[in-house]
Amino acid sequence: MAGAAEVPLAAEIAAGRRRRRAAFLRRLFGHGSFLIGFVIMALFVAIALAAPLIAPHSPIASDYRNLNAPPSALHWLGTDAFGRDVLSRIIYGMRVSLRIGIAVVLVTGLFGTVLGVLASYVRWLDGLVMRMLDGLMAFPGVLLAIALAAVLGPSEANAVLALSITFTPRTARVVRAGVLVVQGMPYVEAARAIGAGHGRIILRYILANALSPLIVQLTYVFAVSVVAEAILSFLGVGPPPPAPTLGNIIAEGRSSVQETWWLVTFPGMVIAVAVLGLNLMGDGLRDVLDPRQIARREGN
Amino acid sequence: MRRPGFPDSLFRLAAAAALAMAAAGSPATAQTRGGELIVVQGSNPPSLDAMTTSSQASRNINMNIYETLYGFSEGVKPIPILAEGVTISDDGLTYVFTLRRGVKFHNGKEMTARDVKASLERYRRVGATKNLLDPVADIAITGDYEVTFTMKKPTPTFLEAFSSPRAPAVIIPAEEADAEAGKTSFTGKGPYRFVEYVPDSHVTLERFDGYVADTRHDGPDGFGGRKTAYLDRVIFRIMPEPGAQVAALEAGEVHLLEQIPVPAARRLEKNPDIRLYENMPWAFLTFILNIAQPPADNPKFREAVQVALNMEAILAIATEGLYQLDHRWQYPGTTYDPGDIGADLYNLGDTERARRLLKEAGYKGEEFSILTDSNYPQHNKAAVVIAEQLRAAGINAKVKMVDWPTALNLRLQDSGWNGWTLMMGIEPYLGPVGLIATLTSPARPHFVKPDPELDALYQELISGPTVEARQATFRKIQARLYELKAIIKIGDVGLMQAARANVKGFRPFRFPRVYDVWLEE
Repeated sequence: MAGAAEVPLAAEIAAGRRRRRAAFLRRLFGHGSFLIGFVIMALFVAIALAAPLIAPHSPIASDYRNLNAPPSALHWLGTDAFGRDVLSRIIYGMRVSLRIGIAVVLVTGLFGTVLGVLASYVRWLDGLVMRMLDGLMAFPGVLLAIALAAVLGPSEANAVLALSITFTPRTARVVRAGVLVVQGMPYVEAARAIGAGHGRIILRYILANALSPLIVQLTYVFAVSVVAEAILSFLGVGPPPPAPTLGNIIAEGRSSVQETWWLVTFPGMVIAVAVLGLNLMGDGLRDVLDPRQIARREGN
Repeated sequence: MRRPGFPDSLFRLAAAAALAMAAAGSPATAQTRGGELIVVQGSNPPSLDAMTTSSQASRNINMNIYETLYGFSEGVKPIPILAEGVTISDDGLTYVFTLRRGVKFHNGKEMTARDVKASLERYRRVGATKNLLDPVADIAITGDYEVTFTMKKPTPTFLEAFSSPRAPAVIIPAEEADAEAGKTSFTGKGPYRFVEYVPDSHVTLERFDGYVADTRHDGPDGFGGRKTAYLDRVIFRIMPEPGAQVAALEAGEVHLLEQIPVPAARRLEKNPDIRLYENMPWAFLTFILNIAQPPADNPKFREAVQVALNMEAILAIATEGLYQLDHRWQYPGTTYDPGDIGADLYNLGDTERARRLLKEAGYKGEEFSILTDSNYPQHNKAAVVIAEQLRAAGINAKVKMVDWPTALNLRLQDSGWNGWTLMMGIEPYLGPVGLIATLTSPARPHFVKPDPELDALYQELISGPTVEARQATFRKIQARLYELKAIIKIGDVGLMQAARANVKGFRPFRFPRVYDVWLEE
């Protein structure tokens, strides 16, 4: 039997884990792209969460004496064709985008992971599940979401459903690929050898180690959901009026871009910045979590 | 305003010169023949077989291709167009229409009584408003240029109904009278003839050089009058996006917009290359309640809705400022103007009173679903504002927005909707009979459940022997509509049109008249 000194103490293991986590966070926040993206998204989330506190006006209260007013001291970003404050509508619209983005990430993450793991871990299901998902992926993503939302009818829940159905196959593919790589690893074999159950193997040994690509994929899903929600709303199949969304603010201004440029410009800028932030974050995450890049860094 | 040192006599001289120049530029002296006019409208015409459709998109084009025996004048009075006139027997049971001679179809054939009878028999089969011929028992050819209608019973309002442009009873060649709806060759006898229709793109018309103008008039008068085609070709281009329409007009790619958004019109007010035309009033904006379903089956609830609404706010937003407040179910100053009846219930915006009425109605917060469509901004904007105002009064109002064809289908269901926003364009223009027909039996009233009292008043209206009698009946109808509160008048809506400044002779009307219009070099 090996000497007691060779067996690491529990305290040392925990300290090691803390060190690794701190190093990971240092690497993550030391990554320029990630940091900028994170700040942008943190601001987006903070504004969305604090909407009732910071929005200067109600997002749905109309004012027929103040229609299509250009930006002014009272209405910083102007008013729309209902006399509603555009800034307040954008702030609340970000809340709707955030809500839909998070809901889609949760639903997609759950179903994508379940389907991906099923396909890779239960070999006989692989062909069946993946061919079904391939069928769904044959449709261009946003087009499928538009078609589904149009069939389901305009509502926030239906927008989430449509986007989740659209993005689940892509997520499932990513999970499946990750699991296929990891499940052949010696530590998985070892876990199986010591009698670990399927649940424990999947959760503790496989998923925990195949998480990086999933996280990157879900940040991408979040970004695309925010944009896709704007597209759905723009086309009139998103949350119905008078709910403010970034897409329907733009849609309402599209027939009078020259007259009421503020209706299109400001929400458009918000969407552009949000997407930029999410992509920067995604890029940063990919760089930090990518094992080959880690290996390259460590090799250097 | 006068400039300092500018003598009065010179000032007057300058004013006189300006007037003289204006007179010199009048249409009587400046017409130019030739050229191609491009008119833009937002949607495809559902059909170019004029009698089979009541769509405005079709009427815009068809009324330049086809003509009717009788039609409305500028002052909305029936005038003969293809008819020389009509003789009505004292008992009101016989109408003898004499026809104008020498009038030619686009195929070169002369119109005779045979074509008229065949066209009207086809109208009975496929006409979109074929019930307007219900009072007619028989149509007989009583001469080469004479047809005689035998009526089932005296119908004093028949000629008005027969003149309706809604789905016009146009005259087509007898050879085409057996064609199913939409299967004719679109041969009419108007000043322009049909050339080509490419759906989602355009409809092309060409001047009909064989057109025989009605020399009884000096110029166009409503749907009739003396029509002159100056243009070689007219293209009705289909462009759904208003922003693209305005851009095309500004760039000079098109000449005439059937409708321009009001904000764009305001921006273009000072553009010397564009002229704006205001059509006011153009339509009623209404809010229809489904009185067959709770909660609007309860008269107290409907009263709460009526008093809760601030029409000015709804109209200002829904029409982008092009509206007039009007409680009447006929346009002000027209023959059947009912005066002040109902004004005390109009445009109140009284939230407190509405709350009290809701309490009396026993309203428990059931959902009140307002059906509207995404195609007509006036409809969906009105729905959003109405919902906001009703919520302020304590009604659990939700907006249900679908596309226009779906809205038309859903409102035909007895349930699934509680309110519906609708602009009525042509019906109010037609006068009381055309309007009230849509609210009474035998048609399915817009508000679903027929009201026996209103039905009886409609019968009284169509059988009223004199205008005075019908005016008295219409006042009763106006009062009944405000008692019933099943359809709520929001107000009168205008229509803004725009043309390039070199489009001359254009006068706004119920459809873009492209005759008596020319392009200045």
